[in-house]
Amino acid sequence: MIYLDNAATTFPKPVSVHNAVVNALRRYGANPGRSGHAMSLQAAEEVYRCRSEIASFFHAPGAECIAFMPNCTHAVNTVLKGLLKPGDHVVTSCLEHNAVTRPLQKLTQHGVTFTEAQVVPGDNDATLNAFRKALNAKTKLIACTHASNVWGVRLPVGRIAVLGKEYGIPTMVDAAQSGGVVPIDLQEDPIDYLCLAGHKSLYGPMGTGVLIATAGGKELDTLIEGGTGTNSISYLQPDMMPDRFESGTPNMPGIAGLRAGLGFVRQKGVERIARHEFALIQRLYGRLSTMPQVILYMPKPDPRYFVPLLSFNIKGKGSEEVARRLNALGFAVRAGLHCAPAAHKFCGTLETGAVRVCPSAFTTQWEIDAFANAVEKIKGI
Amino acid sequence: MGKPLILVSSITYAMKGKELLAKRGISAYLERVPHLEGKTGCGYCLYVPQRTEQAVALLRQAGIHVLDVIDGEDGA
Repeated sequence: MIYLDNAATTFPKPVSVHNAVVNALRRYGANPGRSGHAMSLQAAEEVYRCRSEIASFFHAPGAECIAFMPNCTHAVNTVLKGLLKPGDHVVTSCLEHNAVTRPLQKLTQHGVTFTEAQVVPGDNDATLNAFRKALNAKTKLIACTHASNVWGVRLPVGRIAVLGKEYGIPTMVDAAQSGGVVPIDLQEDPIDYLCLAGHKSLYGPMGTGVLIATAGGKELDTLIEGGTGTNSISYLQPDMMPDRFESGTPNMPGIAGLRAGLGFVRQKGVERIARHEFALIQRLYGRLSTMPQVILYMPKPDPRYFVPLLSFNIKGKGSEEVARRLNALGFAVRAGLHCAPAAHKFCGTLETGAVRVCPSAFTTQWEIDAFANAVEKIKGI
Repeated sequence: MGKPLILVSSITYAMKGKELLAKRGISAYLERVPHLEGKTGCGYCLYVPQRTEQAVALLRQAGIHVLDVIDGEDGA
């Protein structure tokens, strides 16, 4: 199987990630920070090390700004539902994943409204302008993706966050598709809430979402409350990060794996990984663009405006059918709507879906060439 | 004070505090709060055998909320 579904989750994971998970289970599988014994403290130290390294990687103010969550969707929900009140307005983009769109839609039942700013791929000034125009006096949050999980289009989130600051509006960025493959510097870009999927380009295991709240998170109400291992005398949920958002036993083996994944990315370098993946996706784009039956919806992915993935269709064939045929030939890709109907609406593929291809640090040129050959074969069938 | 313990609000802050103090040359040891203080329950603290007052000041300067400084030998 040649795995090109890395936008869904990266596979394989680095061996160091496997080892870290197994090691955590074997050597310090106690409940972190819940008990006073040595193994519990060892487990808590591992969790803290991961927190510190994530903070350092994204230039967050400190380890306490990092809250571990089951996934990026949970982090997005924590911000949207924790912050917004009836009457509030949100500016989002026209390329959002359902992780953002569905909670926003749910919040409309409670009097929250939102406007989708039109993204202009390759023209960040126009995109920024669309965000500016969408703001109004009731806007309490800008919430958008860093990169479309369908088209790879990157939004100028740093500039959008600066725009938010101009108007005193916080910014939440869904970085599920960019964290680990696009440098993100929270000291440079004044993003208030960064939501991450540890299992994608950070190469951690599933179940390792992250919320980085640079201002401390006290302003966010909680979605769930419960035991945090500290201040047990109080019936009230702690008001400080990260405990405020980490009720219940954390996924310590997953967090240990995430730290190893982050170590892998650090060791390789984000820029180097991105260069590798862009070289592959641009090569594939080049091959596909010579096939008249293949529909490509975006220009050749430019690292300034895209993350390294692309989606396509074959004229006269459904995206699910193409993915099924590719699967039969030994290629793993994802077809359909990718949980992002808004993004498909943007390119007019809501009815057809599309076939998405995404390499990882482990993908080789040979695999990409073999994939292009397989598409060539399928389009002729 | 027999065994000065600095109570902080969470294990994350205790670890952050320990790191910070180590950078300033102050040894700190992470410990479980030895007895229910009525302030925490299931809490963590830093045992700072020397330069405790300076450590408290440094922690506060760094924005780490110090709940109290107690004697770990009392009622343990």
